[in-house]
Formats: sequence, C-alpha cells, structure tokens
Amino acid sequence: MILLGGSLPRARWSKRLVAAASMAVLIIGGLAVKLAYLQVTDGATLAGMARDNTLHRVAIYADRGIIYDRHGAPLVTNSPLWNLEVVRAGLPLEARARTGELADLARITGEPEEKIAATLVAADPYASVRIGPDLSQAQQLAINERLPVLAGVSMVQRAVRNYVEPTVFGHVVGYVGPLNEADLKRLRPLGYQPGEVVGKVGIEAGLETVLRGQNGWADVEVDARGQIVRTVGMQQQVPGHSVYLNLDADLQRATAQTLAAGLVRDHRTAGASVVLDPRTGEVLALVSLPGYDTNLFTHGISQTDYSGLLNNPDRPLLNRAIAGQYAPGSTFKMVTATAGLQEGKITASTMLNCPSYINVNGWIYHNWASYSLGWMNVAKALATSCDTFFYQVAAMVGDVTLAKYARAFGFGNAQSIEMPGVMPGLVPDRIWKQLQCGVPDLNSDACRWNTGDTITFGIGQSYLLTTPLNQAVYVAALANKGQTMKPTLVHEVRDASGHAVQSPQPEVTGTVPASEANLMTVREGMRQEINPPYNMNYWFRANGVPADGGGKTGTAQWGGSGLDLPTHAWFVFFAPYTQPEVAMSVFVERGELSEVQAAPIAVQLMRFYRDHVAAIRS
Amino acid sequence: MTRALWWRRLDHVQPLLAGMLAVLGLMTVFSAHADWGRQVLWVILGAAAYVAAASFDYRRLRSLAPGLYAGMILILVAVHLVGHTALGARRWLSVAGFPLEPSELSKLLLVVVLAAYLSRGERVSDRLSDRLSWRAFGGALLLVAPPAGLILTQPDLGTTIVFLGVLFGMLFLAGASAWQLFSLVFAGGVALPLLPYLLHGYQRRRLEVFLDPNQDPLGAGYNLVQARIAVGSGGLFGQGWLHGLQGQLGFVPERATDFVFAIFAEEFGLLGSLVLLALFGTLLIRLLRTAAVSRDRFGELLAGGVFVMVLVQVVENVGMNIGVLPIAGIPLPLISYGGSAAITMLAALGLVQSVAVRRRTVDEPVAELGTITRRAQA
Repeated sequence: MILLGGSLPRARWSKRLVAAASMAVLIIGGLAVKLAYLQVTDGATLAGMARDNTLHRVAIYADRGIIYDRHGAPLVTNSPLWNLEVVRAGLPLEARARTGELADLARITGEPEEKIAATLVAADPYASVRIGPDLSQAQQLAINERLPVLAGVSMVQRAVRNYVEPTVFGHVVGYVGPLNEADLKRLRPLGYQPGEVVGKVGIEAGLETVLRGQNGWADVEVDARGQIVRTVGMQQQVPGHSVYLNLDADLQRATAQTLAAGLVRDHRTAGASVVLDPRTGEVLALVSLPGYDTNLFTHGISQTDYSGLLNNPDRPLLNRAIAGQYAPGSTFKMVTATAGLQEGKITASTMLNCPSYINVNGWIYHNWASYSLGWMNVAKALATSCDTFFYQVAAMVGDVTLAKYARAFGFGNAQSIEMPGVMPGLVPDRIWKQLQCGVPDLNSDACRWNTGDTITFGIGQSYLLTTPLNQAVYVAALANKGQTMKPTLVHEVRDASGHAVQSPQPEVTGTVPASEANLMTVREGMRQEINPPYNMNYWFRANGVPADGGGKTGTAQWGGSGLDLPTHAWFVFFAPYTQPEVAMSVFVERGELSEVQAAPIAVQLMRFYRDHVAAIRS
Repeated sequence: MTRALWWRRLDHVQPLLAGMLAVLGLMTVFSAHADWGRQVLWVILGAAAYVAAASFDYRRLRSLAPGLYAGMILILVAVHLVGHTALGARRWLSVAGFPLEPSELSKLLLVVVLAAYLSRGERVSDRLSDRLSWRAFGGALLLVAPPAGLILTQPDLGTTIVFLGVLFGMLFLAGASAWQLFSLVFAGGVALPLLPYLLHGYQRRRLEVFLDPNQDPLGAGYNLVQARIAVGSGGLFGQGWLHGLQGQLGFVPERATDFVFAIFAEEFGLLGSLVLLALFGTLLIRLLRTAAVSRDRFGELLAGGVFVMVLVQVVENVGMNIGVLPIAGIPLPLISYGGSAAITMLAALGLVQSVAVRRRTVDEPVAELGTITRRAQA
C-alpha cells in the first residue's frame, strides 16, 4: 500500500452532501426553536395543565348535626346512601367497549344513555362524577358483582337525612334539599358548592349554619385512568353541631295523633296545635296537619310527588302552626276584657247586659244566643262568651287602645322562633285601614274605620288575624302574669364532643300593661268557662277531667261578612290554674263549633300531658 | 488490513454518539415503564449487529442487493399473510417466539437496495454531482413502489413516510436533477387529495386533529394534546428523571414508543432536549462525513441513505411530539422501545462504519484506488 503512514485524504464534501448537511442542521435547528417556545415560553401554562390533569380536589362533606328532642330522642339520622360515580378518563379507550359500558350503566341505573354521556362530557375528565339516582339495595348488590369489569366506575357512599316520623315532626324539623340557583347565589360567599344540600324549611333551615359543619377536602393525584395514586393534602371535615329541641317527642306525637283523630272524627282535614311552657316560652309541641313525608325531599323529590303536594287542597306544605293566619274569634275576648279593666272602663264587678243583639247606628250585632243571657260581670261574660257584652266593652275602649293591648299580648308579631316562615297575623286599627286604600279614597267608607269595625274587633273578628303560635304565646302570657315569652324550639346546641355551645335562656319579650288583679279577673273568667256552674264546655265534665286551669273557646267567622259564614274552631288553654306550666292553642280549620271540635282535643292532650309528666317525674 | 490501520480509519465519534443515545434511550424507556430488561437485551443484540455489520465488507452487499430486495418483498408479503394484528394494523411476524417488525428491517434493506441500484455502472467520472438519468430515476421509483405499497396497506403510515423520505433523499444524493425532484414533489402534490381515500379511518382522524387538536381533546386529539403538555411542562431544566407527572401517571400515550420524546422532554427539559438534538445532529453530520470519505459511490449512497433514514425518523418523531407534524407511528432512533427498530438502527450504523473503515485512502484518481488496493492485497 502506498501512503500508508501518511495522513488520510480529507473528506470530499460534494455540493449535495453539503446541501444535505445544511438541510439537516436547519431542520433540527427549527425543531430546537419550536421546542424552546414550547418549553420556556409556554412552559408554565403547560405545566399548569399537567397539574390540572393530575391534581384534583375532592370534597369531604361534613356530617350534618343531628336534631334531638328534649329527652335525647333523635328526630333525624344520617343514613348511608350509595351512588355510582364515573371517571370519564377511566372508561375503556376502545370505542365499542366504551359504548357497551355506557349502555350497561344506563340499564343498571335506569338513566337514559344520552343523559349519562352528556353529564360525562360536561365534567372534568379526571374527576369522579355522580350519575343516575340513588341506588336501591338490589341495584347495589347487582353493581357490586359487576364492578370489577366496569372500568372507571365506582360506588360512592354519602350520607342522607333520614327523618323520623316525618308526618309528626316534619313541620318542626323541616328538610334539606339540593341547593338551587338562588340558594347558590346567596350562599356561595359562605363556601357552599354546587351539589351540596341546604336546609329548606323548619329547624334544618333555621339552624342551617349550626348543623352544617365545615366541609373538608383532599387533594389527590390521579393517573390517566382517573385512579387515585396518592393524597397530597387533606383538610378533615368538622362535623356539624347537634341540636337538642325543647320539643317533647312523646307530647308532639300525642298532639299530632289526638289532633288527627279529632279531625277524622269531625270530617276535617287541617288543623294545628302549639304547646308551650308559659314560664319559659319553651315549645313542647308544635303540630300542623296534614303533615307530609319530608324524606321525599332528601332523595330528590319527583315532579309528580311535588306537584301532588302543591296541588293538594289541604296544603300540607303550609306550616299552619306558624304561618296559618286566621281570625281568633272569641279567644280574643281576654284582650278586650283586659283592656276594659285596665283602662277603667269596667271593673271586675261592673254588670253589663247580655242581650241577643245590640243596635249601633242602625246596624244590628248579634250574640251567639238568640235569647238574652241577662246582666253579668266580666268573668261570667268570658265564661259564657257573651258577644254583646264585649261589643259594648270594645266600643268603650276604642280601636286604638284595643290594638295596643292586642300587640302587647303578641298579636300582629312574627314570633322569633328558630325557623323561617313565621307569619305575624294582623292587628288592625284606623291607620292600618286607611293605609289599605290609596290617598284619593281616604274618605270612602271602605277605607274609613267605623264603629262596626271596633265592635267586631272586640270579639276577635273585624280584620284581626292570628296564628296558632301567636295564640299560644298569648295564652301563655295570660298564664304568666302578663309576661310574653319568646317561644323557643332550641334547648341546647352541642358540638361533636357533646359540649354545649349554645344554651338559649328564657327571654321576656314584653309585659302586658295590666295589673295582676285585672289579669286575675280575666283568668277567673277562663277558669269558670271550663268549670261549673257555667262550663258551657260540658266536654270537660263528660271526659271527667278535673279542669284545673283556664280555657277559652273561639269560633271564628271567615271569608267575608254576613250571618252564615264558615267558621274555624279554636281553643286556648292553660293549666294548672295556680302555677301554670303548660299553655296551648288548638286550631281546627273549618271547624264549626269550637266547644265540640277544638276543645275535646285539648282535653285529650291535657290528659296525656298529665299522665306523661307523672310518668317522667316518677 | 492491519489492526492499526483499521483503528485509524474507524469513525470513533459515530459509535460514541450512538452509545450515548442508546444510554439516554434506555434511561427514558425505563422511566416510561416499558420492559426495560428486554430493551437492554435488544441494545446488546444491536451492538453485536453493529460490530458484525462494521466488520462485513459493505461492497459485497452490492451483489447481494437483488436477493435482499426479493427477501424484503417476501417478508412483507408474509406479514400480510401470517402476521399478527395489534392496534388495528398487521405488522408483526413471530420469529422464534419474538415479535419481529419487518417494516423496521425493510427501512435498512431499502437503503441498501437503492444505494446498489443508484450506483450501477460506476465509472471514474461518475461522481455524485453527475446527473441521474430519467431511466434510472424511473427505475428507482418502480423499485420502491411494491414494498411501499405493502407497508402502506399494513397499514403503516410512518414507515411509508420513511420510505418516501429515503427515496427522495437518496435520489437527491444520487444526482437527481431539479426537474426530477420537482416532478416527484409534484406527483406527491397530485396524490395528496387522494390521501383521505387511501388512509384508514384512524389515520384520517389523526390528520384532522393535527389540523385542529382541540376538536376532540379526549378522543383522537388526546395524544397530541397530552404530548404537548408533557413536553411543555418540562420547562428549562425538566422535572427530573422518573419525575415527569404526565409521563409517570400515564397521561402520555404510547410513552415508550411513539411518544418517548415527550417523556424525555418532560423529565430533562429544554436543556436535555437540546443535548439530545445536538447528539442527533452530530451523528447525522458524521454519517454524511463517512459518505464524503467513501471509496465508492455505493458506500457514499449507503451512508447517505442511512443519514436520510435517521433524519426523517428524528424529524417526524420529534415533530409529532411537539405538534408541528401529524402523528404517524415512527420510533425515535435509538431511544424508542422496540427490538426490531433498535437492532436495525445499530446494524445500519454498523454498515456506515463498514464504509468508513474501508474508506478512500488516496486522493486521486478514485477509480484506480480499487485496482491498486486489490493489487496490493494480492
């Protein structure tokens, strides 16, 4: 070989080789530039997208607080419920397997396939999305078997409210439901998220912030199939507080049953009753009939069920005890009596006639009796419920003063009880009536207060409206030396470890401006009504109840003016007479005769109360 | 040839670069949770193939070329007849229990066959700057058409693209005129509207999502979007080996093969990616340098062909990983998981080394060199 020891010849780069080399350098350089853009300029954004892929915040819902009665009986529990959840990224990649699985899910849940698909498309692909309705026991078992072959599908437990005896306690306890648009707008600032539930009515709504607790969260890292790889961070949930009510579950049940039995006997469908401790304002029972199944709402009420409740002529959704407004009728006469006595228009011994009617400016106002009951004092007038007696007193006192006393007894006041939807009722006077009209009609008859308005006001008619709760507060004030107490449902709020965090104390909301002697006179009239010799309410005697207390019947006309108007039946009652510890109102909607319809219910209740208290004390 | 001479002529840089790339490849394949042990075995087998190819006198391949061509057609037909189907394509042959992907091997065979064909009738003055006759041009097209057709119908769009790239590049290096090259491009342009009819449903879908990746980010556009996110989240320095979120948690599909670059870029960042591209760039230049020192035109075209084969695969693979080229199944040379690809690629580099070792030793005249050497050997 020649040139063996010398250097090898230089590479001979032809033009085409140089061109090829240049091309390679250019193309690879171009890729490098694009890479630099992607990794440096867009790097942060894309890294953020990578984190969004993998990091997900999962809500840990707080255990909602339990609601108990005053003796610790739970009125609602949290029970587990199972749902199907699907991670979209976890579904089979292969199109046929994917549609097959969606069809399976549709069959199991009974949800249309298109709806499931639409839900999934709208959701975060790597997050678990609830699909379909709550699972029944049978569905749960069926899915449990199939779960291993259903890629991306899991069964997830959550707690739902399970209400105890909803028709008995429903109007007090209320119910929770999913947040609607309006709720969400209002509650977002408080940290509520879509899909959460919130108390809608009753204690559930009134003590929402106390019962709710604090939701926690977990930040989890998921892989491309949506499986959780590890938990990065976590905030434990804080359970909601428990609420102990003043309600006595047994008394509440007895009240509901007795009222329901009374309604059935008299072919009536709606009524209400409130039982208070007059000394403290504690609500021992609060019943509105008909009730309804609040559990329907926790599972997402169906349209048929809901419109059924809405269109029911008995209006079961209306809590009559706090929101039903009716004329009090004769039960109002204690206010008129108190006003007449305290204003010095009459005394305990003033005798007024009780004719079958009186004539005022040519208008005739009837008594309930078509014959004269003769001359009588105020106590007897209450005991016999003489209308014409109180027409005269009302005329003497005047509408403005009468309204003042009515308000002092809590009429026209929305009681601040711990649930929403409380209605105030109405105490009319001449100013109120004028305000009902526009300014130009100021002097028309429809707008001007007339003597007839005052006279009928005195027997609880006119424009006067009250609620069963107001009635109970009113009779409790009569029993409690003229002090109105704030009606309270909540006895105590306790945290998860059982420590009391709120213990509402009895609160005096006002004092009726009446002397103890005058109130004694009024109470005496109430005692006489249910005792010999006047006890026109013979039911007490017939039932053999030693009626140590005071009561007053009321049959309130409603629906306009005239002689043969439909009526509501009332009975208000307190006992025992000397040191009252229970005050109640009983209301029968469209009841015809209070002494036949409302009073016997109160008698039954008193009997139960007496036995119940005796049993508790022994 | 003495050992000292052999050593002096050896291209030392090229195997060094190949080795570095193979190590990076093994690291990335490990990170991508592929069968790492098996890939190590493939690389070792590939290294053996490299040494064998480098020791083999490439000039003997010229006479073997017709046989190699027939063999290539044979195995491609065999794939159609007895091949295994995976992911909707019939691409694999089972050889002694191992899956063999003939389309990988056919890339190298094509380079050898084309180099032999285009260097026919080598004369003293027959340098690369010389013109390629239309007849030879047409012959090359006819030669490539049957295997390309067999591969496209597997279907394997990626390898078909490599075939066309190699054809175009080798025609250029063989002295094809501007008109010839233009007519090739023009024919491609005419065929382009037909493409949708030739492509399978999923291939057409890939093309559509390349044009608009966000139209179906969880379906057909998923790969593209996720690979882009992975590459981008690598940033400047990367998230560290074995610590790429996208790759480790499986968001990047085909993470050991088609989208292995996304895994690499996520974990090693822009700096790592630039190093990788620089290694490829240097390797490519070394391949061309071997072409430039080759003793004959066959060797020159052989080295040039391997250059084109590597370039097309690097560009298409990296390009689709960063979203500038549509997705087609092409491995990243020496990095992607897969035995056929690794062994073929190392064998190809070994062949180029064979060209380098038997390089031109005297400047002029080239043609006499062979005679002198032969005489000297005699």
